[in-house]
Amino acid sequence: MSETINIRELNDLIASKASFVSMIRSGMDRRIIGQKHLVDSLLIALLCNGHVLLEGVPGLAKTLAIKTLASLVDAKYSRIQFTPDLLPADVIGTLIYSVKNESFEVKKGPIFANFVLADEINRAPAKVQSALLEAMQERQVTIGEETFKLDNPFLVMATQNPIEQEGTYPLPEAQTDRFLLKVVIGYPNKEEEKSIIRQNITSTATPITAVIKPHEIVEVQKIVEKIYIDEKIENYIVDIVFATREPSKYGLADLASIISYGASPRASISLALASRAYAFLQGRGYVIPEDVRAVCHDVMRHRIGLSYEAEANNINADEVITAILDKVAVP
Amino acid sequence: MIAILLLGSFKSFGANLSMSARLDSVNLLMGNVTTLHLEVVEDKGTNGRLSIFQEIDRARGYATVCGDSVELRTNYSVDTTELGSGKIQLNYAIPMQSFDSGTYTLPKFIYLAGKDSAVSNSLTFNVYPVNVTAEDPIAGFANVVEPDGKRFYDWIPDWLLDFWWLWLIIFLAVCVFLYGTKNFKKKVIPFIAPKELPKPWDVALGSLQRLKNRKLWEQGLEKDYFTELTDILRVYLFERFGINAMEMTSRQIMDKIYESDLRDKRDYVKQILNVADFVKFAKVRPLPADSIAAYDNAVKFVEETIPVQNPQDNETEKREGGDA
Repeated sequence: MSETINIRELNDLIASKASFVSMIRSGMDRRIIGQKHLVDSLLIALLCNGHVLLEGVPGLAKTLAIKTLASLVDAKYSRIQFTPDLLPADVIGTLIYSVKNESFEVKKGPIFANFVLADEINRAPAKVQSALLEAMQERQVTIGEETFKLDNPFLVMATQNPIEQEGTYPLPEAQTDRFLLKVVIGYPNKEEEKSIIRQNITSTATPITAVIKPHEIVEVQKIVEKIYIDEKIENYIVDIVFATREPSKYGLADLASIISYGASPRASISLALASRAYAFLQGRGYVIPEDVRAVCHDVMRHRIGLSYEAEANNINADEVITAILDKVAVP
Repeated sequence: MIAILLLGSFKSFGANLSMSARLDSVNLLMGNVTTLHLEVVEDKGTNGRLSIFQEIDRARGYATVCGDSVELRTNYSVDTTELGSGKIQLNYAIPMQSFDSGTYTLPKFIYLAGKDSAVSNSLTFNVYPVNVTAEDPIAGFANVVEPDGKRFYDWIPDWLLDFWWLWLIIFLAVCVFLYGTKNFKKKVIPFIAPKELPKPWDVALGSLQRLKNRKLWEQGLEKDYFTELTDILRVYLFERFGINAMEMTSRQIMDKIYESDLRDKRDYVKQILNVADFVKFAKVRPLPADSIAAYDNAVKFVEETIPVQNPQDNETEKREGGDA
């Protein structure tokens, strides 16, 4: 079989650079039992410079996951616990008057890190959420009159607790759209639970050594950008996104009353980006429909608005996405 | 002398206009009609009239005399007779009827012609009642006659007219029923024997042959070639085995085949899908051998999955054919 030089080169390049993926995975496995999907999602977000919104009950190793990832990447990590009295300055930083220098000095906030855990993001008021989300989008922060670029790589993992809704400020749809992925994590199975017990009842924590440097991650991100997406895949992505907007045209008339609004063009972009990152994780220099399907739920579930009818019938976004994937023709 | 002269002049004046009256019968059965004849002699060109019909309502159809006991019909006739010397005679024939028995004296009728007038003689006649007996209650009485000048609706029975609204409702209901049956009546679809659908393997093999004849990969259109080849295979998988291959990725198709009875044929499909994914999504140009092998594998897959007909079924079919 003869192939064009670009793809072959890219495949070789990926093969040489993707070795860190298995190392990160095994490093994560040493600290986190199960939650393979969470680890893969964090890697996808890291590879395409996106952010992750994580939904799961407390105690599912969300914090540990991102902390371990930061250690494996040898990157700066910070955690912001969102509370109702949090101020934007507590996140991005502020100007503090220095008596010694008789001038205002910049005090950078916890957002100046490679990996930021925004814990329970829906507990803070809208202005704090906006400050974080703006920083996530712009990748820069203005304090006083000075603008500071955020570190690269920059990954925000925000968590939401789905069971406690009292006293929370749910993220508006326009802001959840800024997260590349929304990952829903569930409980571990029995075997995993036993392993978790065994691992946590000992006082010694498994040591973690860095397997890659932040600047190498940036290089890998550039490789991921080169992964080939054929027009057929683009059409497939567009069909999936359009099926959320005009389900009747795709033989999904039943979904018309279930979906109140469809996915935005940002969903198409995110789907393409995440598919590319997933292809990289599989060691491929090109995207196949399998990659699109693999990331589709995480990319789309927070971008589809469901109607009251859907809520009444206990239909969630994942079921809608599955129905769409089962109906849209694969190239 | 003056009075004599005046009387003489009056008489000569009155001699130009005179009127006499007579009856056809002076004995009249109650309810029967007789004719009153009034004969007026006047100069030609005189325009006169009977005063009795002057001030009655013509629509009523009659004038009454003798205290409303005698009726004179307005549908009388008049004819004219030339008497010569500039004189004419008007003959009025007036139908007369009474419903009260007794003897009546008709009043003098007056004929007016400009300033002149003539007065008729008075007539006496007798109206006798109907002779009613226990055996023959209306013996000798007039028969019931049909009214004159019947209009078209006079022919319609009263019971029909009295309940016109009922007939209208029934008519409308019938109209609605007829309209409904006309429009909603199930159309009789003529029976057309269903055409036997082509078998999936025949369709697939035909499509593969057509694809081969187009020589796509030979012209450098490998991507189109593999796209169509996989589409043929996917459609066949759906039509033949009910696998929704059009909405499945290559891996899902392989998983489905592995789970099914087609496990021993999976290598054919695997080779096709693997090469096709490279060609379609990775800009790979396959070697001619890959394209040929993919085609051959597709043909083999289809041919080897054609259902084998049970010999017993064949015999049954033949027997049925023979019986027919």
